[in-house]
Amino acid sequence: MWEAFKNAFINKDPCNILPKDYELFINLSLHTIPPNKSLFWENNQLLVNTFAGRGRRYMSLGDTLFGFFGDFLNWCGQAGSTELDYESCPTTEECENNAVESFWRMASITYAQQSSGVIHVLLNGSSVGGAYPEPGFFADYEIPNLQKDKISQIVIWVVDDIKGPDRDSCGTHTVKKLENRLKTLGYDVTCTDNYKSVMFLLCLDYPDDSQCTLSSSAAAAQRGPISSNRGGSWDKFMFVSFVGFLLRFALVY
Amino acid sequence: MPFQQGSARTRQRTVLLVGIVVLLVVLVLAVVLASLLTHGKPEVSPKMMKWKDRGTTKNLQEVILGRCYSYVMARYPELGDKDCLKIWESLKHAFIYKNPCNTTSEDYQPLMELASHPIPCNKSLFWSKTKDLAHRYTKSNQNFLTLEDTLLGYMTDTVSWCGDPSAPGINYESCPKRSECESNPTSVFWKMASKMFAEEACGVVQVMLNGSIEAGAFRSNSIFGSIEVFNLNPDKVSAVHIWLMHDIGGPQSESCSGHSIMMLRSILEERNFTITCEDNYRPVQLLQCVQNPDHTDCQPCANATAAP
Repeated sequence: MWEAFKNAFINKDPCNILPKDYELFINLSLHTIPPNKSLFWENNQLLVNTFAGRGRRYMSLGDTLFGFFGDFLNWCGQAGSTELDYESCPTTEECENNAVESFWRMASITYAQQSSGVIHVLLNGSSVGGAYPEPGFFADYEIPNLQKDKISQIVIWVVDDIKGPDRDSCGTHTVKKLENRLKTLGYDVTCTDNYKSVMFLLCLDYPDDSQCTLSSSAAAAQRGPISSNRGGSWDKFMFVSFVGFLLRFALVY
Repeated sequence: MPFQQGSARTRQRTVLLVGIVVLLVVLVLAVVLASLLTHGKPEVSPKMMKWKDRGTTKNLQEVILGRCYSYVMARYPELGDKDCLKIWESLKHAFIYKNPCNTTSEDYQPLMELASHPIPCNKSLFWSKTKDLAHRYTKSNQNFLTLEDTLLGYMTDTVSWCGDPSAPGINYESCPKRSECESNPTSVFWKMASKMFAEEACGVVQVMLNGSIEAGAFRSNSIFGSIEVFNLNPDKVSAVHIWLMHDIGGPQSESCSGHSIMMLRSILEERNFTITCEDNYRPVQLLQCVQNPDHTDCQPCANATAAP
């Protein structure tokens, strides 16, 4: 796998690497994705990473072998040299057909082709430019490669950042465009704003925000945390007063 | 003519006898050759000791190196001076070609020195019987670090290793369980690493305990109860915050006023630590709710404004 991956871009013009150069690598690292576990996303990579639970809850592209391989890494080669270039690599603005961009295009295509059952898409409703970006990997490489006969439903979740603006939601702007596109293609589409499970995850950094308070923990907060100094003495006090009450009661009687 | 017949018979007999002898010799040769060849074929570690636990992780070197580079380059680039190759070599030399039941803390001293790094104050998170939840929490919230979020713990989590005096010096088939011998390579490693993690802690220290298990949230024979608690430095650590978590919808076997928590409190108070305890620390409970969003414990506060 490493050899196939390396040969896709080593000793070549770093601006002339195409997705199909990674074909052998994909063939060697390919595996099926369990049905109903695919999770597509845009503009919320870290959230998706956490939410997917390393493939236990969902299997995002970064949880597949081929995606995991390149996740969070950067690489490129040079023409006329078998060495990796550790100094600099072209950005996508400088040239589209660079080693990293082509890798992700190929990986995204593959991920879409291997997805089946209920498909999930997590979008960021606070994103500048819209929750469903065009151009984008989901729009250009994933949707066109979904296998319609293997897919039962597409579930869209639009989640805003806590304290973030609500720029986009189901049925509006870019999300509406996405819903229409998928419906035209013949998919059964549902859309939910601020899906609860994901909200809880976002709440970790803002546990006191009004969106994040839980009725059970609100009650607990009223009771307050028990500190060592108060706890022990309170128990003793209650015990002593109870004994005292009993004694007095006995005496009186 | 009878003499001629007699000699022909004798000749026949001789030929037969010679034939049988040749056959026998060939057979013996074949048997000897066969046994020599099979004996010469290398058996899988014929002299290696056999144990009851799983063996050394396959491709251990690549896994340790990969994790080391991944941690240093990707997660904490400020640790750029760590030499991953040297770190792997020092781990290897701690156990290779050694009897796995004679591991000592001295074996790991060079590794500990090479791989240790300071931990920011107020960020140490200890855990006992809450491994999965504690790690999910530190992955979502970079404000806290468990042992497995330090370089040493990150490299070795879920991995196993042990040596053997015979070649190749590493036993990939099996390794000793604690019940077979206490001083086995991984047990000694984790005890040492836990001790160091506790010694390095400073400021406010957190511990996540499980209030849903019958045996009690705090157990004195756990690593936390037997090693970490006793290696916290009272000159560096100001307070210990206990987060007592219950499974969502799970039994509330113990709470902050429970028996084992009282025991933990007395041990810590004796060493002059301030202790607080909180039932179901909210941020961690929110994390539990991700998997149980519809449970009654996870319902939003009635007064909260609905999400836009």
